Amino acid sequence: MRINMIATASVISAAMGGLSPASAAGYNDGHSNTLNLIDTVVVIYAENRSFDNLYGSFPGADGLQGVSDAALTQLDRDNTPLRELPPVWGGLTAKGVTPPVTQAETEHLANHPYRVDDPQGFNLPLGTITHDLWHRFYQNQMQINGGKNDKFVAYADSGAMVMGLWNGSKTAMWKVAQKYTLADEFFMGGFGGSFFNHQWLICACAPYYAHADTSPAKPSVAVVEPDGVSLTLAANSPKSAIDGIPKFAGDGNLTPDFYAVNTMQPPYQPSGNTPAKNADAATADPANPTTLPPQTEPTIGDMLSLKHISWAWYGGAWQDVLDHGNKTPVPNFQYHHQPFNYYANFAPGTAARTEHLLDGGLAGSQFIKAIDTGTLPQVAFYKPQGDLNEHSGYADIEAGDAHIADLIGHLEKSPQWPHMLVVVTYDENGGIWDHAAPPKGDRWGPGSRIPAIIVSPFARRGFVDHTPMDTTSILRFLTKRFELPTLHGITVRDDAVASYNQPPLGDLTSALDMTNSQ
Amino acid sequence: MDADEAIALISASGIELTDRRRNASNDGWSLSFANGSVVDVKDSGVLSASGNGAVEVARLLDLPGQS
Repeated sequence: MRINMIATASVISAAMGGLSPASAAGYNDGHSNTLNLIDTVVVIYAENRSFDNLYGSFPGADGLQGVSDAALTQLDRDNTPLRELPPVWGGLTAKGVTPPVTQAETEHLANHPYRVDDPQGFNLPLGTITHDLWHRFYQNQMQINGGKNDKFVAYADSGAMVMGLWNGSKTAMWKVAQKYTLADEFFMGGFGGSFFNHQWLICACAPYYAHADTSPAKPSVAVVEPDGVSLTLAANSPKSAIDGIPKFAGDGNLTPDFYAVNTMQPPYQPSGNTPAKNADAATADPANPTTLPPQTEPTIGDMLSLKHISWAWYGGAWQDVLDHGNKTPVPNFQYHHQPFNYYANFAPGTAARTEHLLDGGLAGSQFIKAIDTGTLPQVAFYKPQGDLNEHSGYADIEAGDAHIADLIGHLEKSPQWPHMLVVVTYDENGGIWDHAAPPKGDRWGPGSRIPAIIVSPFARRGFVDHTPMDTTSILRFLTKRFELPTLHGITVRDDAVASYNQPPLGDLTSALDMTNSQ
Repeated sequence: MDADEAIALISASGIELTDRRRNASNDGWSLSFANGSVVDVKDSGVLSASGNGAVEVARLLDLPGQS
């Protein structure tokens, strides 16, 4: 019976020649039982690249070819087109890079995207660490500007850096994307940065700081305009992006109603904040204004545990940092990239923590060991250590790309590979411009477009999936495949997207052909 | 160096500012960063770094004796 259904679907698919978002959802909904062929789901979560930043010239994708001049033009804070891009404040390369590309060398760039690896321009190799950029909750919304994406420069702290793109065809993951499926309408689940988007990956929720107005974090409540999406500019903020970085009356971590949207520290070690004096050494000082109180919202981990589905979050360098402290530039562990470490259900001393928060090892060695021995749980999240995550400012693209491509090589040889689905994506855009308008959603997102590559024996081969998706599409797949209760944030997002009469966000199944099995 | 300059230098290296407030003695700014470092920037221009990640931010700020 299953074979007949698959054969029928295959014929229908061939006749369609391509899948519109709506038809793709309908097609796959009719065959959700075949998803049981997938036993192992792996999510690899890299850092801070917009789709256009790496894949803007990918054949068949919604890239920069054909984008109008108007859509490439950035506006100043007064809504007039900038006559040129401001320089990259402080220079294009990170401190210590030799030879540096100085601020003076970035002056007078034309008002459109440019390639930082252009042999006729800056000619930087993929192994160059470049200047980091603001990637924050309110700034991201101000930059998106209702979908026009024309205020990225205006509300950046890095001038022209936001418009800098790379020739991604030189990366190893480009070849992986060519072999399997590249999703070119995949958006970050939440506006802003890593902290928030890691929360969206596991919870589809905004963390909450109860009674923040009477807490040490009170000064971190943002000052926001009545529109709810724009920070209030300070009186001394430069009027033009050419004149300098914008200043805000209050650019904090918390919304006026106390949701944590920018980086807060975990309440448990490893945390950027040390324990309080004479307190449990496994905790972080709750009186520190940047320590987030333990969170209690249900996560995808809770949902998986509820259905007795094995799962783990593999944090690169997790145990090394617990045992020896953090070090830079390697592994440069990032505390706020470990989202389950904010939740009371996974507090130190709990059985759930021991079972589910696992050491990925230095350079992913423990994760690779599990891959090679076929001992991955049914659902595995992997977070690369800092120097291998592709984040601007402290990591380069080349090292992270090589690391993830190496992981793919291991996964393809894993005993679990024949029934595996791998999603490689980025947590957020890193403040880097992308031309695609995000779907209209709820107050938290979706934000800017990011790359997502679906790798599996069941992935469509050489396929570009135009289905609108966001980070929560990963959760949608897990929910569907393992028949989990739906997280509240997904329901809210679905309702919000539908209220604008937009196509529903996908669940990754549009990237799959369950007849593909070798 | 003032607080804005210190923030720009550190943030450019991918270390996000997480808190900015006047220090306890109200003679400068206390800046917290995502790597756990706290940078005290006196109004006089004197800087110091403490906490997790202090070595890294001291290097970025060229603070003598702290990196």
